[in-house]
Amino acid sequence: MARVIKQKPMTIIERLYIFEAMRGLWTTLKHAARGLFRYEQLPTISYPEGQPEINNGYRAKHRLMLRPDGTPRCVACGMCAAACPAHCIFIEATQSDDPRIEKRVMRFDIDHLVCVFCGLCAEACPVDALRMDTKKIVFEHRTREEFVAHLSDLIDWDPKDYPEDAQSQMAPGGTKNAEARKVWGMEVK
Amino acid sequence: MDIIESKSWVEWLITIAKFAFCFVPVLYILLLIPMERRGAGFMQDRQGPNRSYIKIPYFGKIRLLGYVQNMCDGAKLFFKEMFAPKGVSKFLYYVAPAIPFAIIFISPCVIPWFGPMVFEWGGKAVTISGAILDSEVGILLLFGFSSLSAYGAVLAGWASKSKYSYLGSLRTTAMTVSYEVCQGISMMGLLVLAGSFSLTDIVSWQEQHVWGIVAQPVAFFCFLIATIAETGRAPFDVAEGDPELVAGFHTEYGAMHFGMFYMGEYAHICIASFLVATLFLGGYSVPFVTTETMQAHMGGSLAILCGVLAFLFLAFLHMMHRYSKKLLASKQSNKMVILQEYKLYKIVGWLAVAVFVAAGVCSWMFYNPVQTVVDGVLTNTLGAALGTALIHLLVLVVKSVFFCWVWIWVRWTLPRFRYDHIMNLGWKIILNIALVNLVVTAVVAKLLGGN
Repeated sequence: MARVIKQKPMTIIERLYIFEAMRGLWTTLKHAARGLFRYEQLPTISYPEGQPEINNGYRAKHRLMLRPDGTPRCVACGMCAAACPAHCIFIEATQSDDPRIEKRVMRFDIDHLVCVFCGLCAEACPVDALRMDTKKIVFEHRTREEFVAHLSDLIDWDPKDYPEDAQSQMAPGGTKNAEARKVWGMEVK
Repeated sequence: MDIIESKSWVEWLITIAKFAFCFVPVLYILLLIPMERRGAGFMQDRQGPNRSYIKIPYFGKIRLLGYVQNMCDGAKLFFKEMFAPKGVSKFLYYVAPAIPFAIIFISPCVIPWFGPMVFEWGGKAVTISGAILDSEVGILLLFGFSSLSAYGAVLAGWASKSKYSYLGSLRTTAMTVSYEVCQGISMMGLLVLAGSFSLTDIVSWQEQHVWGIVAQPVAFFCFLIATIAETGRAPFDVAEGDPELVAGFHTEYGAMHFGMFYMGEYAHICIASFLVATLFLGGYSVPFVTTETMQAHMGGSLAILCGVLAFLFLAFLHMMHRYSKKLLASKQSNKMVILQEYKLYKIVGWLAVAVFVAAGVCSWMFYNPVQTVVDGVLTNTLGAALGTALIHLLVLVVKSVFFCWVWIWVRWTLPRFRYDHIMNLGWKIILNIALVNLVVTAVVAKLLGGN
């Protein structure tokens, strides 16, 4: 069903063109004057030297959350890989050393060349292990292989970078690690 | 030998030095290219090209406010290989870009750069005209020269054996011819008022009466539109309309061939803006002040000039300061490099302010040349005459830079007209308005008993 959009006929002033042209010239003049006299107010970020500010909700590079003892929280259930529309998550599980936990992750690869950064993996995770809040938006590597983030890469983050996040502070090196370790209760070799 | 002895050495020196004005359009190219590129950036809320830099040992990097980018582009064009596609007409292909470029050295000859210098030398009153060639038909000469540059486009399109080039040059031909008519007729009203074809006379008429833009506002608009069309710039740039014709008449050109077309275009803008400023904005005449008043108070006039320049530098320093403050507060990783460069500009700026203020105060206090009557003519000293010429020249430059800005401004605001719209506008609208304007002007001038 086609919808006909009725366009307003131009008034005589508009049909004369010259006045509308003047209006356009006034607009560009305002912008040019801002660029010239208020150069610092231009919205441009001179990129590699200046970095854009990234919101907390921004879906950037992934990271894997850690238990108080430093092992990844991931239980290798495969929900993220199942949710991934781009099929870029590859997980292999193995036997966990901890008797309370059935599986632990042995291989956790995310191919960032394939990833569409939809955030469905982080949504799908039942244990809040996978997050996308690193605010790392630059992916620059020489080979295709380097774009694949491995497990060691994903758990390599510093709690100091997430000062407001209580969950991150429970990881080793965080401010709440000591008490969280007591609650967790068990040293795992 | 008579011709040499007919003038004193000072007269000869000034007459020959005036030939330096031939290079003004070339200097304007250097000004217009950054003005166009960064101006376009500012209008679109971008910063424009500003990343290239020169590395100075022991100091850091300087970007010259983005100017280095233009040097880089120029160097690139200059060192690229010049080649011709197969099957072109070799001679015409190589000659075509030279035509618009050669014309930029001829056109400035007839523009009056300053008012006639009248000064006393060796007990005689000496008069030197402000134009290199003070012709009785100066304006016609100028029109002739500037319409010659269309030949560059026409020959380029014909010689380069490409249908896009050919179509582009066809359009250029038709458009130039039709808008030349509009241009000539819209200007005629002013010539009727001034009663002369000489540009010097037109300017002195405007100085004594009113500026052309006040006397002939309609003609001014017609002339401006026709002149923009004649330079082949947007919104009238159908000759190189990129969505239809790749790049129009210079599709097959690269390297410095293209560069010459490019420079020819900018120089054409420069000449056209000088023409508009001379015809309609009083040329070299200073607004609200007559040349006689200025010469009677030479020291004060120079002081005001220095004051204006000092104010401009202060404004520049203020902008620098504000931008540096913002930059210092930001997290940009190269901010210290940029601030180092700005420190240099601040030093230069403060030095310039100091020099201009000192010069202004000195000329205000101590420079008071006397006017004498020699051979029945009120004459000045040579210094006062040169000072007047300098002020006149700067005023003309300011006016023409404003019109150059109008060219850029219009280009980045209005979208390109369709070809038939351009012809419609030229033949059915502007030409008629200009004709009516000419008739009305002539009748009114006759009734009021003018020229």
